[in-house]
Amino acid sequence: MPMASEFELLGRVTIGQYLPTGSLVHSLDPRAKLLVVLLLIIVVIVSNSLIGLSLLLLAVLAGLAVARIPLRFALAGLRPMLPFLILLALLQVFAIPQYSIGATVIWHRGILTITDRSLLAGILLIARFSIMALGLSLFSFSTTTTELTHGIEHLVRPLQTLRLPAHEFALVVNIAIRFLPILAEETERLMKAQASRGADFGRGRRNFVQRTRLLLPLLVPLFLVSLRRADQLIEAMEARCYLGGKGRTHLIRLQERLPDYVVVAGALGLATGAIYLSRVNADRLLWSWLSSHL
Amino acid sequence: MDGAEEPLIRIEGLHYTYQAGTHRAVPALCGIDLTIHAGEYVALLGANGSGKSTLLRHLNALLLPTAGNVWIAGWNTRDATHLRNVRTTVGMVFQVPDSQIVATVVEEDVAFGPENLGIPEDELRQRVDWALSTVRLSELQHRASHLLSAGQKQRLAIAGALAMHPRCLLLDEATAMLDPVGRRQLLETVGHLHQDGMTVVAATHNMAEAALTQRIIVLSEGQLALQGEPRAIFSQIETLRALHLDVPHPTLLARELSARVDGFPADLLTIGELADAVATYLGEPAGAAI
Ligand SMILES: Nc1ncnc2c1ncn2[C@@H]1O[C@H](COP(=O)(O)OP(=O)(O)O)[C@@H](O)[C@H]1O
Ligand SMILES: [Mg+2]
Repeated sequence: MPMASEFELLGRVTIGQYLPTGSLVHSLDPRAKLLVVLLLIIVVIVSNSLIGLSLLLLAVLAGLAVARIPLRFALAGLRPMLPFLILLALLQVFAIPQYSIGATVIWHRGILTITDRSLLAGILLIARFSIMALGLSLFSFSTTTTELTHGIEHLVRPLQTLRLPAHEFALVVNIAIRFLPILAEETERLMKAQASRGADFGRGRRNFVQRTRLLLPLLVPLFLVSLRRADQLIEAMEARCYLGGKGRTHLIRLQERLPDYVVVAGALGLATGAIYLSRVNADRLLWSWLSSHL
Repeated sequence: MDGAEEPLIRIEGLHYTYQAGTHRAVPALCGIDLTIHAGEYVALLGANGSGKSTLLRHLNALLLPTAGNVWIAGWNTRDATHLRNVRTTVGMVFQVPDSQIVATVVEEDVAFGPENLGIPEDELRQRVDWALSTVRLSELQHRASHLLSAGQKQRLAIAGALAMHPRCLLLDEATAMLDPVGRRQLLETVGHLHQDGMTVVAATHNMAEAALTQRIIVLSEGQLALQGEPRAIFSQIETLRALHLDVPHPTLLARELSARVDGFPADLLTIGELADAVATYLGEPAGAAI
C-alpha cells in the first residue's frame, strides 16, 4: 500500500539546501562565491598536480570550517556518487596500462597491470570529484536560491553590452527555479491521480530501471502541463509590460564589500598556484627529491 | 478625442476569431459594443466558453480584434506605440494563482512590472511597499512566493498589477480557485480599491460576488446577452437559467418567501438585505405582512 508521504515531492525539492549558520561565508556577495566556485571547477579540471589539488582541498575544507558546515553534511552529497566514482577510478587504474607505453609497472598479476601513471590517474579522478563536490556543497549550503539568481543576474549583466542575451539567460535561470515547485506540485497531482487508478509508486526495493519505467507514464502529461503553465506565465509577463530586457531597472542591487574582494583575490592566487604547480610538474620534482634524499 | 469625455474603456463592433483564416477557426466574440466608465465596478458573467476571458484579453491588448476596435483611455489597442500605456492603465489578474508569479520572492514579483517600465530604483521601492501594504502582504515581502497560500498568491498578483499604477483592474475568475476565506479577503481588497476609485471588471461564476458590483454584463456565445444593475439582472431568473447561469441564494430565498408571504420583497440580493427584510417582517407582524 502506498503511503501518503511518498507523494509529497514539494518537501523533497531542495535546490537550495541552505544551512543558515550566519557565518562569514554566508554573508559574502553571491557573485564572489559564484566566481570562486567557477574558478575552482576550472582549476580542478586543468591542474594535474596532486600537490596543487591537495592545496585546493585544504582551502575547501577551511571554507567549510569557516562556514560552520559539518563535514558529514558536505560529504552527504558525495555518497550517492561514490560507487560510480570508485568504478571509474578502478577502470582508469586497470585500463590505462593496456594502452600506454613507457610507464613504470608497479604491480602485475595475470592480465591485470597497474602502472605509476594509471594509479595517478585514478587518484586524480577521485580527488577532482571530491573537491568539486565539497566545493559545490559549500556553495549551496551557504547560498540561498534567491542569492544564486541575483548573483547570476548581476554577473551576466555586463555581457549585455556585448550584445549577448545576458538578461534572457538570467531570466531563464530564474524561471526554471520558479518552475521547480510548480512541477513538483503537478507531478504530485498526476501521481495521485494515476495511483487512484491503480498505478503503484510504492517505494519498494526496485532497481533504477524499474523505478524509471514506473515514472514514464508521468512524462507526457507533465510535459503538456509545463507547456500550458509556460503559456500562462508568458501571458502574465506580457500583461505586466514585459518587452525584453531593454530599459529594465532592478529592485535588488548587490553591494560588494572588502571581504568579497579579499576572497576572490585569494582564490585567484590559489588557482594560479595550482596551475603553476601542474605546469612545472611539481609532483615529479617532489617525488625525485624525496627518493634521492630518503 | 477629448480626454475628459472619453470613457475608460470603449469597445465598438468587436469580433474575435481564434486561428482566424484556418480551417480550425473558432469564433469567440461576435460583435460586442460596450463602454465602461472610470470608477465602475462591473461583473462579467457567462457560461464556460462564452467569451469572458477573450473579452478581458482585449482590454489590455493581449489580443487584438479580428474586426472592430477597442479604446483604452482614448488609445486604440491596435496602436503599438501605446502598448505600454494601455497595459499600465489596465492591470490583469488571471485565474491560476501559481502561473502568474514570475519571481521567486514576493517583493521581487511585485517589482517585475515597474522594472519593465524602467522606474528608477527609489521609486520602485516605494511602489512595491505601497502595493504590498494595499493588499496587506507587507509582512511576507521576503517570503518565497511559492510558499504563499492560493489567496495570498492572488493578492500578490493584484499587488503586481497595482505597482504599475493602473486605473483599471481586470479579474479573470480570480477567485475561482480560492477557498472561502481567500475569496472573502480578495473581494475585500478589491472592494477597498474600488472605493478608492479603481475601475474593476471581474469575470466570475460566483453570483454573490456579482451581486456586489454596480453593473452586470452577461455574455452568451460571444455576444452581449444582458446588461444592467444586479437587481434588474437577477430578477430575470428564467432568462439566466436559459443562459446556464445561477442567481444569488438570497435572491432565490426571497422569491420563495414573497410567493408565500404577501408583501415580502422579491428582489433581494445579499444576505444582509434578506436579514433586514425578515427582521422588519418579524418586528411588525401585524402591520407589514398579511
Ligand atoms: N487559445 C484558444 N484557441 C482556440 N480557441 C479558444 C482559445 N481560447 C478560447 N477559445 C475558444 O473561444 C471561446 C471563448 O473562450 P473563453 O473566452 O475562454 O470563454 P470563457 O472565459 O467565458 O470561459 C470558447 O469556445 C473557447 O473554446
Ligand atoms: Mg475564462
